Parts: sequence; C-alpha cells; structure tokens
Amino acid sequence: MMLIAGTVPIKDLPLTIAEVSIEGESLVVDGYNIPRTQGTGAMVGAALATTDYLKLEPPRVLLAGDIGQGRGSQQIYEYLIEKVVELSPTVLALHYCLPDMSLTRRLCKAVDGCAKRPFMIADAASMYAAKAAGLAKDFDIFTPDATEMAFLADKEATHPAYIARHLFDTDIEQTPGLVAKAHKQGSLAKLVLVKGAIDYVVEEGNIIATVTEPDVPELEAIGGTGDTITGLISGFVFAGLEPREAAIIAARANRMAGKFAQATPATRVGQIIDQYPDVFKEYLCQWSGVCYTEGDN
Amino acid sequence: MSFLGRRQKVAFEGGGLVLFLDVQDAMQAERVLKKAGYLVKLVAPPPELRKGCDLAVEVNLVEQPGIERVLNQEDVAYVSIVPLKIGTSEILEIVKVTDFGRWIMVKAANMKLTFDKESGVIVNTSGGGCPDIPYLHIELINKLLIEAPRPSDIGYTLCALMLGRALEESVTLQQGGK
Repeated sequence: MMLIAGTVPIKDLPLTIAEVSIEGESLVVDGYNIPRTQGTGAMVGAALATTDYLKLEPPRVLLAGDIGQGRGSQQIYEYLIEKVVELSPTVLALHYCLPDMSLTRRLCKAVDGCAKRPFMIADAASMYAAKAAGLAKDFDIFTPDATEMAFLADKEATHPAYIARHLFDTDIEQTPGLVAKAHKQGSLAKLVLVKGAIDYVVEEGNIIATVTEPDVPELEAIGGTGDTITGLISGFVFAGLEPREAAIIAARANRMAGKFAQATPATRVGQIIDQYPDVFKEYLCQWSGVCYTEGDN
Repeated sequence: MSFLGRRQKVAFEGGGLVLFLDVQDAMQAERVLKKAGYLVKLVAPPPELRKGCDLAVEVNLVEQPGIERVLNQEDVAYVSIVPLKIGTSEILEIVKVTDFGRWIMVKAANMKLTFDKESGVIVNTSGGGCPDIPYLHIELINKLLIEAPRPSDIGYTLCALMLGRALEESVTLQQGGK
C-alpha cells in the first residue's frame, strides 16, 4: 500500500483515511471532495494519475483539515505514530503539515518498529521538520526546490525563512555546492531531487543526473508543480522503479506535462496533472521500459 | 477516535523563543498563548538571548506570525521572537523578481507570488510547505493585489509571512509600474 499523509485547506475536514478516487476535477476521499490545488491535493492527484495509468492499487491517503493552526497536522502525526506498524505501508509519503520536530522524532521511532520498513518520502514542511530534527537520514527521498535546498544546506535554520542570505542569493547552478554542504552535515535523505530550472538527482550526496528538458520556466510560478513531482516519484517508486529512475522520470514527466499544457504562469496545476496520461502514453515506455499496450491489465 | 482524546505528555521542541523585559509579561504570554491553543513552555533563555528577563516562552518558531498576532491582540508586551539556536541567520528580508513578460513573479524565501502586470490580478502563488499555504493560495488567486487578503492577517506560519512579503513587494512593483 502507498500511504500519503498531509493536510488540506478545508478547515472542518476531520481526520480521514481512505483510498482516493477522482470525479471530474476533484479527488474523492471517503465521500469528501478534495481540490487538486497546491499542496497535498496536487501531490495526491499526481500519484493517483500514475497508479491509474499503471493499473496499480490507488494511494490511500491520510488527510485532515488545517489552515495553519496545526490541529489537523497534529492529528495526522499522532495517528501515524499509533498506527504505522499496523498499517505497514510499502511507501509512506509525508507532505504539508505544521512542522513539529518532536512529533517527527516520535514518528521515525514508530517506523523503526515496522517489520518491513516503509519507503519514506518527505516534501514540504514534513521535510522541514525532518531536517530540523536531524532525521534526514531516516528518509529515502526528499524533494526540495532550490530555496529549500539552501535551507537543507544551512545547518542552523529550522525553516527556509531563516536561511542565510548568501545561501538564498545563490542560483540553481550553485546547487552542487549546496548539496555538498548539506551532505556533509547529514541533512540529506538517501536520494534528493532538487526541483528547479535544472533538476538535480542526488544519491548519497552525489549528483547522478540532471534534467533540463523540456525547458518550461513558467512551471515555477504555478502553485503545486513541485507537489506533483513528489506525487509522481511516490507513484513510480510504488510501481517498483528504482528511486533514481523514479526521480528522473518524474522530473521529465512534469516538464513534458507543462509543455503539453502550454503552461503560462497563470495555468492551474490541475491542467498539468490532466496531461500525465498523454505524457505517459507517449514517453513512459521509452524512458523506463514500463510499456503497456491497449488491453493490458 | 479514542486515541486522539488522550492527553499525552510529550517533549516539546519549538525552536523559537519569545523574549520579554519583564517576568510578568512572560507569564501572561504563556497564559494567553495556551488559551489560544498554542503549545508553549516557560523556559530560561540562554545568556546570549537575554533581554532583561529571566523567563522566556518557547514556541514553535514556524508559528511566529500567528503568535505575534495573539500577543498584539492581547496587549502582551514582548521584545521579539527569535530562533532558539544561536547562530541562526536573521529572517530573510530580500526578494527576487522574475519577469515573464505579461506576468511578474516575486519570490521571498521559499514563497512565490505571480501577478498580471496589466490588471494587477494575482494569477498564482507557489512554494512553501505549511498548512496555511494551500488555504492562502485559494484565497489570493484571482484577486487584485491591492484587494487580496493579507497573509499576515489570515495566515499563521513563517511561510505565510514570506508570502506576505512577496505580496507587499508585488504591490510596490505594480504601483511603481503605473
């Protein structure tokens, strides 16, 4: 099972765990409609598009409403701490939440009790908390953008708002230096995909690949296009691809979806997600060797 | 679910301190913040951060904007909110601007806001990872820069604070461009 956990911007949504499906523009989870907008909604939308195409079991999602006050985030982490051994997901992807170092520490300890350790992915504030708590090495994949990479490289920062100015000032081409610095201080997951004008795939601190094509700079402005990359990686890892391959294909697919959508800075992330089936159909076999023909099941 | 109703005594690692000049203010702050639902703890500040009071309130640094709002609303005097780790940089003040032709993207730390140059309408926000950001995304999109709700008024986290910076800079750019 792939389990995705994160908050959604629906204030009164109770803690909910269920398989996700899609109806029209919305995700549906236990009868609740969840928009595929920036955040966990976009991430889940991308993961679902991937599992649907590959004819895999859809993601289960653990969601709670939270507009910043932290209660939903706390409910999600407390639930996971209590239930992760019982749930025993193959892939556990942690996303939007109020970062809490103490809860993250307790969750990592609970995960240690799983008979088979879940493949651990963190993005957004779940990644901030993991780094701030010194737990990066407990994770298999982080998916920072360029600024968040600078945050990972700043030993003292507990949030990207507090990174050192000289690190914020660096452009994407300086990422290798930030990667080296972050690796030296133990702030990287085993594999890191740095999302930006150049996407860097980093394994155990070494840059093993970059992705630059197609070049769609408008994607940076579109809220949720980093979240979708995390959703794609989660889906591909769940499908059994090697993490490095999953990262490279996710970066390529997201860029290609931007191209297919003829993205502008005003494009919505749902329009990008809607392109994935066509992108997969045209390129996935060529990129990965995962090939389907009509009628396959 | 029953487990959610249980009160668990757990370690608290907030990463931020509210500093005061007066012990009474620190105690009052602890009271009003707890009442507002924040997890906080009275602590002795490290010598490097002392501002004249032997008590500080440890808070989750990410919640800085929401905490400042509560303290101001309740008229609690405080000096500042700072990271607990000595050596942490000052909060980022600079922004970066990208021109997409018809649109401008303004970036403050991990947050980005993009608006239409001609109409002044916010067309996208991106970046961040805290739970108020998807909410602010929905609230800000399709609004005029000057009429959009301020993240500092309805957000709670440092991500919201940075999005507010991007919005302020966007307003300045838009007005300067006319």
